[in-house]
Amino acid sequence: MAGKVLTITSGKGGVGKSTTTANLALGLALLGKKVVAIDLDIGLRNLDMILGLENRIVYDVVNVVEKTCKIKQALIKDKRTDNLYLIAAAQTRDKSAVKAEQVIELTDELKKEFDFILLDSPAGIEGGFRNAMLPADEVIIVTTPEISAVRDADRVIGILEANNKKEMNLIINRVNPTLVKKGDMMSKDDVLQVLSIPLIGIVPEDENIVSYTNIGEPSILHPNSQSGRAYKNIVQRILGKDVPFMEIIEKKGFFEKIISFFKE
Amino acid sequence: MSRVSIKGKNFLGFEIEIKGSERESIFKEIESLLAVSSQYMKNSIITLKLDDTNKHLAEEIVSFLKDKEIFISAVVSESKKGLDINLPIIELSDLHLVNETSEKEVSTFKGNLRSGQSIKANGDLVITGNVNSNSYIYATGNIFVLGKLYGVPHAGYGGDNDAIIFAFDLNPPQIRIGDYITRSPEENVLLKKRDSVVPEVAHVEDGVIVITPYDEWINSK
Repeated sequence: MAGKVLTITSGKGGVGKSTTTANLALGLALLGKKVVAIDLDIGLRNLDMILGLENRIVYDVVNVVEKTCKIKQALIKDKRTDNLYLIAAAQTRDKSAVKAEQVIELTDELKKEFDFILLDSPAGIEGGFRNAMLPADEVIIVTTPEISAVRDADRVIGILEANNKKEMNLIINRVNPTLVKKGDMMSKDDVLQVLSIPLIGIVPEDENIVSYTNIGEPSILHPNSQSGRAYKNIVQRILGKDVPFMEIIEKKGFFEKIISFFKE
Repeated sequence: MSRVSIKGKNFLGFEIEIKGSERESIFKEIESLLAVSSQYMKNSIITLKLDDTNKHLAEEIVSFLKDKEIFISAVVSESKKGLDINLPIIELSDLHLVNETSEKEVSTFKGNLRSGQSIKANGDLVITGNVNSNSYIYATGNIFVLGKLYGVPHAGYGGDNDAIIFAFDLNPPQIRIGDYITRSPEENVLLKKRDSVVPEVAHVEDGVIVITPYDEWINSK
């Protein structure tokens, strides 16, 4: 069976594309799927660090498409599971170093061996975005509930619709229940009303993400992490299972808990 | 293949045009068209345009529409011959004399218009979907949005100050009609909590763009 190409994109930068890619890739691999994650954010690579693999890069995606190395040589094996591989972005080049046709050629080759090929798209809607879009079988759009991010996601969805990419799913990242409750942040429903594409996950704001990223351990590895649990659910949904969306609730302090206990 | 289409003929009137004789597909298409547009067709003068192949279905179609609370005022056809119905019949040749100069084109866009996209239409423009923020729509005639309008509309593009803009949820940052322009109050549309949303019409009155709930607007005409 041929593998599936999933592209993770957003429009706006900094909403958590690479973090999402890392978590989903690792999640799928831990469930026994053969996964390769490709960082297409050439010149601004990040995925290797989030996965904790930056010290193992010898060849990168530009080397592969320019055929200065074999695909096998550029596949960096994950340190936790044998099922996950990374092809890193080149840091010394820019987006124009790779063409969409070359990416398609590469993904076609990888489809023979892997179940899932995850493409981490760069922000923006220029050439690098095109490279990540054209090979995609399915596109996952990441947004935060900020208006600027939602508008950029809307723009991206419009471009994808115009190019007949029908398989699109939405992840709403960094939802802060306290702010939603106060009416200072768009709720899940507000976002869905604007974007009107299927929702595949809601990830709560998680202050630990920064430290997980810094030490190269995606939150899906941490059983107590709320965001990790959300990513696990998304992985299940990608595999076609029907998992209910978890309730994102405000974290209560010790005293608030006692007060609400007595109120009840 | 049968085709059913709805055209705006003037401010208050619509024409339902039916081409072809496939009985089943005619009713199916009417049904799906009405699902999106019956709301704004009520209270309007509606005519039914038939061609020679489907004339014999006239009575059946009219009563089908009646059940859906769409009341046909007259039937338009090439000739009266073979039309057996208890309604005024307008022959096309008559209509051309009356209507030749005033007939406008209507363009329909199905789906959502997203950030960064824009549409230009000659004549009236009907959008069956949402018009999201940062998108732009231009029509030389009227604009009807059967959904949310959060992008920027320009009706009467080219100078028609009599054009109107209708939307089920009218909430654009700017409204442009003919030579006039106005902007919304300074508040954030997406975070604003609104109790209820009613269909509204934007039009020019005494040199200013005003927004009126559709119910009031239709009664003031």
